[in-house]
Amino acid sequence: MSATTAQPAAEVRPPRRAGLLRRLLRDPGAAVALVFAVLIVLAAVFAPLLAPTDPYDNDLSLAMQPPGSPGLPLGADSQGRDMITRLLYGLRVSLLMGVAAVAFGGSIGALLGFLAAFYQRWLDGPIMRLMDMMLSFPAILVGLAIAAIFGPGIFSVVLALSIATVPLMARIARSSALVVMRLDYIEAARATGMTDFRLIWRHLAPNCLSAIFVFGTLRFGQVILLGSALSFLGLGAQPPTPELGAMASEGRNFLFFAPHIAVIPCVVIFAIVLAFNVLGDALRDALDPRLRV
Amino acid sequence: MAAAGTKEDDRTAMLRHALHRLLLAIPVLFGVLLIGFLLMQVVPTDAAVVRAGPTATPDVIEAIRRDLGLDRPLYVQFGLYLWRLAHGDLGVSIINNVPVTQELAATIGPTLELMAASLIWAIPLGILLGTVAAYYRGSVADRLIMAFSVAGVSVPVFFVGLVLIWFVGFKWQLLPFTGRGGPLWTADGLRAIILPALTLGGVFVGPVARMTRTSVLDVLSADHVRTARAKGLSERLVVLHHALRNALIPVVTLVGLQIGFLLGGAVVTETVFSWPGVGRLAVGAILSSDLPMAQGAIIVLSLGFIVVNLLVDVLYAGLDPRVRAA
Repeated sequence: MSATTAQPAAEVRPPRRAGLLRRLLRDPGAAVALVFAVLIVLAAVFAPLLAPTDPYDNDLSLAMQPPGSPGLPLGADSQGRDMITRLLYGLRVSLLMGVAAVAFGGSIGALLGFLAAFYQRWLDGPIMRLMDMMLSFPAILVGLAIAAIFGPGIFSVVLALSIATVPLMARIARSSALVVMRLDYIEAARATGMTDFRLIWRHLAPNCLSAIFVFGTLRFGQVILLGSALSFLGLGAQPPTPELGAMASEGRNFLFFAPHIAVIPCVVIFAIVLAFNVLGDALRDALDPRLRV
Repeated sequence: MAAAGTKEDDRTAMLRHALHRLLLAIPVLFGVLLIGFLLMQVVPTDAAVVRAGPTATPDVIEAIRRDLGLDRPLYVQFGLYLWRLAHGDLGVSIINNVPVTQELAATIGPTLELMAASLIWAIPLGILLGTVAAYYRGSVADRLIMAFSVAGVSVPVFFVGLVLIWFVGFKWQLLPFTGRGGPLWTADGLRAIILPALTLGGVFVGPVARMTRTSVLDVLSADHVRTARAKGLSERLVVLHHALRNALIPVVTLVGLQIGFLLGGAVVTETVFSWPGVGRLAVGAILSSDLPMAQGAIIVLSLGFIVVNLLVDVLYAGLDPRVRAA
């Protein structure tokens, strides 16, 4: 926005969504990351339409065919399954695990953060001490413990990643909510006789959304990385389920004969996590520079 | 970094933070042990039968059950469990009847070795890169280092490991890539640790560089640095002696915060390189449903994590004389 002429009053308001997108796209790295993230999500959603074959269709005569073989642009895995199909469905499973963990753990964390900020006098201490304790367990240990209790599987990974997300989101939501709580209009809304629940839901939460959204984006990348590591260790998705970490783990056994089986899913995980990290950083800069650490 | 507050406030806050962490460690420790205990309650097998061995008579099993207190109420069992833990008894493996403590004792060393070998090059390199990035802020070097740093926190550890195995280990046949080659003071031992240490350290350089850069930038705008500049000291001297020294203090704490990240990387690295450490032991035990072993490994990893965090807090106080005096 140029400052050469006086702007109409409406233009003085902080730029909202359209402005945000424009600011994001101004950073070439963020623009590439955004386009890539959108494509990845679309590929995962439309996997059944895009995939040339069924993800469980195997043809052992095609096993370990290298990329560029006839009809197999990315080759085939050790069971002779089309790598493109496996990747598309693998994206689905990996992204869904990430979405579930961020949505589930993030909601509980955000709620706890709001409660801590809203009832600062009696809930802040207990809730945040509990969050500090949860932070004392690195995500990998939560993953190992949950897998030991419930057995390896997608459920265990999502549960572990959710638990590991709760305290982080609670901190973000709390610090964001504390700022909002000091603003006059919360007091004004309270004076109109609004219930606490409506105050939190209608006034507090919407004003903390940008911080939560930024953190959710950054967390999504981390969660995908952690989830793929747990699956790589054999604690997550089990074969023959197509999942990127599990695919890399399976390909590891054929590294010297058919490196593409392991390398391609690794590259895809790397690209997804990189895209969401770059996007999260750019979103933070654009939406809420105060969050910059 | 928060804009509000003076440096002095920061220090007091950091000391309070250290104390706070120390007090938190107690319930956390209790939680770890409780989780370990509950883990053993979901085991479908009878601990007394396992411990007695396959040839034991029912009388012997009954005696062992009484001995272990398995006929007592749960809270008494928890007490007995803590008592046994304190005496280094973590039970025996369901798979091979080896005492858990014996396996753990053999794996802790290699894990520590791997972590040390990774940090010993990753932290100095990270600090160097972060300082260069801060010094040449906005330059191509800065952008490259920061891009490398984001890539470092985004790359799967197993990807780095597999690429190193594929090229350095397999294609070029330069270094071994499975298992530990022996003690570190032997040539074989040194050769065997290079690839795992490159893998684990490789993902650690980025975060350290990023934190150092932020910290150095903060300090470069501080009063004493401006004074040093005003005295006419060379820019290099200012950065090295006045800025970097003070910038390293928060870096220590921040590196401490990344220990969880290091631990996660170590578990994966050990698995990729068949490194005989606690992480690989834990994963193997979980996959084979050997719960006593899994429990022992998870407890050891958690304890290690808690202890290292406390050490980092103390080290922080040691590095900053103002905190020590307080």
